[in-house]
Amino acid sequence: MRRTVYAPTLFRFLATLLILLFAAGFWSFAGAQESAEEQPGGLMLRAKGSTTELPAVRLGTDIKAEVSGQVARVTVTQAFRNTSDEWMEATYLYPLPENGAVDTLKMVVGERIIIGRIKPREEAREIYEEAMEKGQKAGLVEQHRPNLFRNSVANIGPGETVLVQIEFQAPVRQVEGRYELRLPLVAGLRYVPPHTITGTAAVKDALDVNAPIAHPSISKDLNPVSISVALAPGFAPTNIDSPYHDIAISRTAQTARVELGRGEVPANRDFVLRWETEGSTPKVGLFRQSFDGEEYVMATITPPTPTTREKMPPREMIFVIDNSGSMAGESMPAARRSLVYALSTLRPEDRFNIIRFDDSMTMLHSDAVQATPRNVSHARRYAENLEAQGGTNMLPALRAALRDNDPQGKAIRQIIFLTDGGLSNEREMMGEISTSLGRSRVFMVGIGSAPNSHLMRRMAEAGRGTFTHVGRDGEAESEMRRMLNRLSKPVVTQLAVSVSGNGLDLTPRVLPDLYAGEPLVLLGRTAKLSGRLTVTGLVGKQRWSNTLDLDEAQESGSVARLWARRRISDIEAQRWSYQIDGTEADSQVEALGMQFHIVTDRTSLVAVDETPSRPEGQRLTREELPLLLPAGWDFDHLFGQQLSASHAVPPSEAEEGEQLDLPRGSLPFRSALFQGLLLMLLGLLALLWSRRMRVA
Amino acid sequence: MNRLSFSPEGGRGWRRALLLALAGFLLTVGGAKAVSAAWYPAKAVVAQILLAHSFEQGLASGTAIRPWPWADASAVARLTADRLGESDIVLSGGSGEAMAFGPAEFPTRHGRHVTLLGAHRETHFAWMRELEVGDELTLERVDGSVARFEVTALQTVEWDRFALPSKPRAEMLLLATCFPFDAHQPGPLRRVAWARRIA
Repeated sequence: MRRTVYAPTLFRFLATLLILLFAAGFWSFAGAQESAEEQPGGLMLRAKGSTTELPAVRLGTDIKAEVSGQVARVTVTQAFRNTSDEWMEATYLYPLPENGAVDTLKMVVGERIIIGRIKPREEAREIYEEAMEKGQKAGLVEQHRPNLFRNSVANIGPGETVLVQIEFQAPVRQVEGRYELRLPLVAGLRYVPPHTITGTAAVKDALDVNAPIAHPSISKDLNPVSISVALAPGFAPTNIDSPYHDIAISRTAQTARVELGRGEVPANRDFVLRWETEGSTPKVGLFRQSFDGEEYVMATITPPTPTTREKMPPREMIFVIDNSGSMAGESMPAARRSLVYALSTLRPEDRFNIIRFDDSMTMLHSDAVQATPRNVSHARRYAENLEAQGGTNMLPALRAALRDNDPQGKAIRQIIFLTDGGLSNEREMMGEISTSLGRSRVFMVGIGSAPNSHLMRRMAEAGRGTFTHVGRDGEAESEMRRMLNRLSKPVVTQLAVSVSGNGLDLTPRVLPDLYAGEPLVLLGRTAKLSGRLTVTGLVGKQRWSNTLDLDEAQESGSVARLWARRRISDIEAQRWSYQIDGTEADSQVEALGMQFHIVTDRTSLVAVDETPSRPEGQRLTREELPLLLPAGWDFDHLFGQQLSASHAVPPSEAEEGEQLDLPRGSLPFRSALFQGLLLMLLGLLALLWSRRMRVA
Repeated sequence: MNRLSFSPEGGRGWRRALLLALAGFLLTVGGAKAVSAAWYPAKAVVAQILLAHSFEQGLASGTAIRPWPWADASAVARLTADRLGESDIVLSGGSGEAMAFGPAEFPTRHGRHVTLLGAHRETHFAWMRELEVGDELTLERVDGSVARFEVTALQTVEWDRFALPSKPRAEMLLLATCFPFDAHQPGPLRRVAWARRIA
């Protein structure tokens, strides 16, 4: 049916008007279309954002850890189950302890086990991609950060399950008699500061350190993890405790076995296991290993806690608090509460300042002020009102904190960071600290359920301080009290190590300052292990020394690789303090990775099943598995309103999402209209004035 | 008498002329600027009236009809936000030019499975500020089909950092405009409403 519509007079009038409008304004508007679109670096970045679609490949993870002495050997098995009727490639981004050394990759396909080989990064990638094209099953482990890895599995058949198993070792941290094994289960979002996007390599890196986030509506039952820990610390462990997970413990006199209380947990927060010893903490631990014709030793020495009752001299304390969008949810209250507690410990003779940052920063005072009751209560109100919002641009805040108006001052200057470390430019932080530390010391408090522990450890190391974690609101006071107590006690300084007999190639090369209750962990390499190792230092004002007989070391299978891993940290430290250039650092890291068969940012593990499985002509679909949002993070805040752009909701590649440029939906006519009207107003004033002149 | 000095009368007249010229200049330039700025909202309003007319015609004939003879876009759909009582005629063509007259449909790889509409925050999509998750949207196409969508998410994202699932399962409608709503200058941020087909 055809309806006839009569054109009224109005319609004709409007059409005429439109012709005029069209002629006058249209082309100028079209010409203005393209401006402001070209953001530097924005060209290749694409939002990985969040996903509401269940992935075709489902992941289940099982973690088995064996703690013997002061080292944990951990096996992580990831099962990739393809629920679709297509051939799939799946990649999964996951965190590991920041000082762990991954040395084994096994891929299990049906009955067969394929063992991974270590290869230089690019070569490994080529081997993997070639196998993928040929239709062979392949697995690849790559490192993007010392605590951030990515597994890729190619050619998972319809309905098939492929197991990928990696193994690593990591030292167990011990502070004030409390031992702690921290197994991160999920990578938090990393903010990519725009200034770091300098080229294609930087863009690729930004893509690598982020993954899409599963929308809460699909996150139930996604990425489940089971964990079991066999504890054999060499003494009877007591007070075994996991602060964030339900655990079941079965034990004998000297060992314990820990399982998750409810079988499986979602991979959405760090798993932490703590234990203590009944008697006094062993002062010395000594382990050795022969590897490739050389001998390696790990020595753990705990200096005595100083007993002086002397009053702490006045201090200057700079608190730097992160109020970026990733802190929204449970982290911000935990950070606020930690800061408020720290403020309450200030004495009137101390000086202090607060710096807050997101993608902007504010200093409460332009310079540190005296901790008078008035100043402290003002600061407290300021801290209590901080809201989480925006990106994580830490560098300006770090620079501001390191700016010292009295660099020759005698007072102790302590900078305390409260942050989740959700950023991708770690190297810039370490570089800044290593060049402008001066008399300041840097302390890190990792906030929230999935902090970037790599940043915490390395910033504290470069800043000759120490670090701790506040996993949730309720821990704020107790954990801050522990750390601030240690900060207020004399420090063990001027540590030096000497060896009789054969020389030892020791790492860390620069020995740290030790805070009360912290052990010195040394790793060394030598042709033949013998003789004595003597450590000397100043505890407060008293000289202290300890001598170990290296022949007494116990065998351990992890020492050599931990040495290599620690040496790589040294190389990284030399890189960011500009002692060696990037190419030199890369080649040294690659050599160590190849020799010790460990994954580094220059070496990857790759496994290829020679039997082709995907029939020719069948399509392969790529998928990047979504991560759960870390517990306590505010999804709506991150993906709903505020942020995305500022938190660089990170980019994705064409495989997992089709990128779409959005049209520009704005007409900047309001300011032009306003300017025009303003000019007319001025003209009218001039006109009136001229009339008045005539009258006069 | 000093012959070099201007008489008070003559000096004032000269200055008054200058002031008048300035006033004229300011009024002309300001007027031109204001009028050319006012074109945009005027055009946006006027065009919608014409487009509604053309859409009704198209609906009647079953094919899209050009709203005015020289137009390179045609009215292809009517978008209604029920709760807000807002309704716009959507143009084909997928170009920024079309957006001066109404929301424009931008082609996606998924054809009708994913519909992307863009419009200016100052005019046709000013109501996106009020849009909430759970709101229903109706898209009536010129071929007579009517699809109802529910807003599932609102997202703020840089224009070149937006990605779709590669294989969206449900039929989707995406509305995009500039963000923030009150800004005077164009920026990189976009506000996107995701809606999923419900009927």
